[in-house]
Amino acid sequence: MSKSSARPLSPHLQIYRPQLTSVLSFAHRLTGVTLGIYAIALVAWLMAAAAGSQPYSIVQNFMQSLFGQVLLVGGIFCFFLHLCGGIRHLLWDTGRGFELRAIYASGWIVVAASTLLTVAAWIVSSILAR
Amino acid sequence: MIIRSSDQVPRTTLLKRFPLPRNFGVSRQSRIERGRTWPAPAGATRVKTFEIYRYDPDSGNNPRLDSFEVDLDDCGLMVLDVLIWIKSKVDSTLTFRRSCREGVCGSCAMNIDGTNWLACTRFVSETHDRATIYPLNNMPVIKDLVPDLTHVFAQYSLIEPWLKSKTPAPETERLQSPEERRQLDGNWECILCFCCTSGCPSHWWNADRFLGPAVLLQAWRWLLDSRDEATGERLDDLEDPFRLYRCHTILNCTRTCPKGLNPGKAIAGIKKMMIERRS
Repeated sequence: MSKSSARPLSPHLQIYRPQLTSVLSFAHRLTGVTLGIYAIALVAWLMAAAAGSQPYSIVQNFMQSLFGQVLLVGGIFCFFLHLCGGIRHLLWDTGRGFELRAIYASGWIVVAASTLLTVAAWIVSSILAR
Repeated sequence: MIIRSSDQVPRTTLLKRFPLPRNFGVSRQSRIERGRTWPAPAGATRVKTFEIYRYDPDSGNNPRLDSFEVDLDDCGLMVLDVLIWIKSKVDSTLTFRRSCREGVCGSCAMNIDGTNWLACTRFVSETHDRATIYPLNNMPVIKDLVPDLTHVFAQYSLIEPWLKSKTPAPETERLQSPEERRQLDGNWECILCFCCTSGCPSHWWNADRFLGPAVLLQAWRWLLDSRDEATGERLDDLEDPFRLYRCHTILNCTRTCPKGLNPGKAIAGIKKMMIERRS
């Protein structure tokens, strides 16, 4: 490849059309990384609870602020998108669901299901918190 | 929107490309600069603009994006006709590969409106108002729309795409039952245009070591062949964290194949075969 290194490389990510296939794949990666960060936050929350009521109320106040609530909803959505996407990948690992129509149907199901599950989780948790 | 076959062009477009700067993360010699506009000939009534990637290796300049105003009343129906019209009427230096003009040879594979397809089988009426044409993605560019395919063909030769058999050659043909022959359907039709491989994000990041969908589809075609006796060795050669397992089932390949084949399914078949032979 030494001869061709002087040649320009044609653009790829910069110009390729975003499609359900690639967007969901990127999203699966990104939500996976995000959930890793949330796992640390979860530990911090538990540690605050273990440390006593004073540190716990600080974290609790933060989570009840608008920014905290947005982070929570985002985290729940990431969780469900990653979960549903993971189930889709498990289905593929059995060798099924590779027809283009099935790829798109399962993709939209993942998007719809994770949205609905996020809303449901939020409603259930606000009822329980009452 | 549900896509049923790869030739379907989406009716609505939310984003034509990812919201990134056009030269995001691009090396200095690959940066695309603003090009010139080639106006439509006088008297043209039905004009459509095509933005086309240009690169001239002799000029020493960077690639650029030229706009061509094309007189649709003077030109054929396909994107390839547009390119030929430009070459013969506007700028004779526009360079591209073409041969059969009927989707059989795979020469005119390029990135049209953000997805890879054959210019000869994509209708002009299916393209955007400002249609964009780039060479196949993530390839060294020789000139304009002509990519250097040396690397992907080297990857193709790596899987040894020929019949391997230890039994002595029979007097006549090596026979297959109709069922055995049917196994190859959907796999042998690949024309090696590399639309799928160059549209695969995993191949963008690991082109040096990941074989890519087109080559893996061919590997699958030889794994399935009832006359081939090298299945074990073929699987050994593929059992590698990069060659096969860099496929993360993104499935841009199946979405873009101009022949309607399913490289994603073929790769899943290889992965399954790997598991099955272990148990």
